[in-house]
Amino acid sequence: MTSVIGKSVKRTDTLGKVTGGAVYAGDVVLPGLLHGKTKRSTVAHARIKAIDTTKALALPGVKAILTHGDVPRVLHYGSPHPRSASVTQDQYILDTKVRYFGEGVAAVAATSEEIAELACELIEVEYEPLPAVFTVEDALKPGAPAIHDVGPGGNLVLDPFVVTRGDVEKGFAEADLIVEGEYGMGRPTPAYMEPNVCVCQWDPLGKLTIWTSTQSPFMVRGTLAEVLGLPLNKVRVLVDHMGGGFGAKQDLFQHEFLCALLAQRTRRPVRMEFTRKETFLGGRTRHPGTVWIRQGFKRDGTITAREAKVVFNSGAYGSHGPGVTAVGTAALTSLYRCENVRLEGRCVYTNTPIAGAFRGYGVVQTYYALDILMDEAAETLGMDPAALKLKNAVREGDVAPSNHPLTGHGLEDCIRRGMDETGWASRSSKPKAGRLRRGWGMGCEMHGSSAYPGIKEQGNAVVRMNEDGSVTLLTGTTGLGTGAHTALAQITAEELGVTFEDVAVVHGDTDVVPWDIGAFASHTTFMAGRACQMAAAQVKAKVLARAADRLEVSAADLEIRDSVITVKGVPGMSLTVREAIAAEKGIPAPQLLGEGSYHPTKSYSFGAHFVEVEVDTETGQVSVLQVVPVHEIGKVIHPIAAAGQIEGGIQQGIGHTLSEDFVVDHRDGRPLNASFVDYKMPLAMDMPPIRTIILETAPSDGGPFGAKGVGEDPIIAIGPAIANAIHDAIGVRFRHYPITPEQILAALEEKAGAQAA
Amino acid sequence: MTTTVPVTITINGEPRDLAVAPHRTLLDVLRNEAGLTGTKKGCDVGDCGACTVLLDDVPVNSCLVLAVEAAGRNVTTIEGIAPAPDRLHLLQENFMALGASQCGFCTPGIIVMAKALLDQNPDPTEEEIRFGLAGNICRCTGYTKIIEAIQVTARQMAAAGGETA
Repeated sequence: MTSVIGKSVKRTDTLGKVTGGAVYAGDVVLPGLLHGKTKRSTVAHARIKAIDTTKALALPGVKAILTHGDVPRVLHYGSPHPRSASVTQDQYILDTKVRYFGEGVAAVAATSEEIAELACELIEVEYEPLPAVFTVEDALKPGAPAIHDVGPGGNLVLDPFVVTRGDVEKGFAEADLIVEGEYGMGRPTPAYMEPNVCVCQWDPLGKLTIWTSTQSPFMVRGTLAEVLGLPLNKVRVLVDHMGGGFGAKQDLFQHEFLCALLAQRTRRPVRMEFTRKETFLGGRTRHPGTVWIRQGFKRDGTITAREAKVVFNSGAYGSHGPGVTAVGTAALTSLYRCENVRLEGRCVYTNTPIAGAFRGYGVVQTYYALDILMDEAAETLGMDPAALKLKNAVREGDVAPSNHPLTGHGLEDCIRRGMDETGWASRSSKPKAGRLRRGWGMGCEMHGSSAYPGIKEQGNAVVRMNEDGSVTLLTGTTGLGTGAHTALAQITAEELGVTFEDVAVVHGDTDVVPWDIGAFASHTTFMAGRACQMAAAQVKAKVLARAADRLEVSAADLEIRDSVITVKGVPGMSLTVREAIAAEKGIPAPQLLGEGSYHPTKSYSFGAHFVEVEVDTETGQVSVLQVVPVHEIGKVIHPIAAAGQIEGGIQQGIGHTLSEDFVVDHRDGRPLNASFVDYKMPLAMDMPPIRTIILETAPSDGGPFGAKGVGEDPIIAIGPAIANAIHDAIGVRFRHYPITPEQILAALEEKAGAQAA
Repeated sequence: MTTTVPVTITINGEPRDLAVAPHRTLLDVLRNEAGLTGTKKGCDVGDCGACTVLLDDVPVNSCLVLAVEAAGRNVTTIEGIAPAPDRLHLLQENFMALGASQCGFCTPGIIVMAKALLDQNPDPTEEEIRFGLAGNICRCTGYTKIIEAIQVTARQMAAAGGETA
């Protein structure tokens, strides 16, 4: 029986958030603070012939201006994972070329934001325009302009990523039915509420301190040190609270280097804060792309072969392109069982905004295609789509995308439970009529906790028991807002046998806490949680050894619960933890330290989303009426926080399926909707009731107490579930996202025309 | 140098004498002059609601109000919502207990907006709550737990005869 795990204890991070006391990077104020701004490109592809800063420098209040000649020219990784295959090395702080509209070309530090902005306008940049390509098709044409000198050439970010299992030809030859389709994806952006921001300060000994809104502070430290030529102990990264990241804040952005260099140049602290428009222009988006799939089926619904070609648009830089391509493509080995698989993934540079990491990491796109195709196949086979998916659902022992055997029957459990909860079998199958037409759809997903095998990860923790029995947990993980630090404290308390309130968490200072790879890949609770468990177990052993001495019993006979040590089977014989470790006879209490370092492989979480929509056939508007998400995530550490992840992921997934698309003008590469007014997200009025169901039927041996990840899963299945529900409502099959009202109306008109003809 | 104008704004019950340039927003002055960084800047153009404060008890986007417009008036920010230094507003308690705050960046604006809503309409329907929050963007929660926290607060306030804490 557990004391702390599985309980929705009060999160440690939210008191500051509800009172306004929580300090985000942009809230840091330092004496003499200057304000930095980035001058951004107004062309999509050009060589910089000249930059004239004379007028800008003459403006009173301007303290420094940096252009490409003033900054170190070091080719660096867009996202600084430790030399993994997931990311590309194709960026300079400021280059002599620009590759997308909005790329930084210079930076200003001034005594106010207004002066810095005005100075940016006064900087004159002379561009020598280069031919630009905005679509994958154009970028792949023979003779297309080369956007980068690095990489395999032909505007490819990486060599094609190929996965083969079994014999695809044989599989298709055995098929009674072959279904194929090409599916297209728009460009959603994470649109976190806190615009990117950092504050930099140097001390007299040449040490840089940076407060920054990042998911991966140690990666920021590593790359800043490398590019600026500093040892790691001369770069200190601080991040307390951050206002969301959803994957994109894993990258190191131009302004983080520029802010450091402006602070160095002016010998004053500098803050650089994106405007909302800049978070669109200079931020990171999901990869737009196309996924072509062909599947062979037996008449009973068994899948005999699967072939797919995935093409992602990376935008102007590689960022996470290799990782997203590999993870998204390899995901198609699984979800629905198939022994004969041939998959190919490509990622292509274009002169458009940078695509990077975003919750769901390539899998959103590929499972959208796969799951709609399954519904199309079910229709042709005359089967119920949920039944077809259940029949083919991956299960215990099947080989996962990571090449590990799967544990348990999580996906089958999710589908069955969702069918029960929604009365799936008895839903209306009558043809819909009238202006408002309702339909049901379902979609499935699985997603890995940790980025293995793309990145060999490592979770670390240090647990210290103080001389009063209280516990300090030191973790390098970042608090994006998921409640991760609370979960880690719960795990530590549970393992150690102390109360949740006894554990305080120290985080957010790279000078103090153990190294961490960053908060991403649904792995913080899974991986760092396990490291906490290991560290806590060491401290517990030391405490019990000491208590055993005092009680003159064997440590093996002792247990700790709620900070009280008891002797098994001997009621009344007990000692508090504090008493056990207290100083005595003038000798200080012992140093009680535990250190956990965990190298995970991977576990998979599963989900099935059931959705009811209503289509207004006069306006084309699609309303999501209700969502029943069923997720299997192993042992749940904090039920409310886990449900919160699911509900938020659904919100973003509804957005990318129905309205969110950051659009670039294909004539000049200029973004057309870089604001919250023009980039439409589902808000309070649009969000349906969500009835979240969490299962714990397939716990992982790899996670603490059997826990698995949940952060990314909920954004994946909602998309195809909605597309399938729209088909159920109006009989039109959409093979792309976002599905807009205009397209609904056009499709209904076309359908009516076809019926009349 | 830009000319400044002396203004007195009562912020969370305390009159503050400030010298502000006429073009500066209330949001900017709250954060950078009054030292109240609980009010967040999510867009600075009135699209997201993260900077919501009460101006004479009416919710406004403080990025769309000039600081000089607030002269002689009462401004309530998230730092002034609690009824006493050692007590939280029920909304604050419920946002914590029910998981209505994740990354927290929208939270101050939403709590201030919810307070204004409940002060005006102590028994709102779910639809009225959703309408009340139409201008506040939250990107983490799907609004599910935010709505629940506001509904629970309304019920508790009714049970306590309108007391908020």
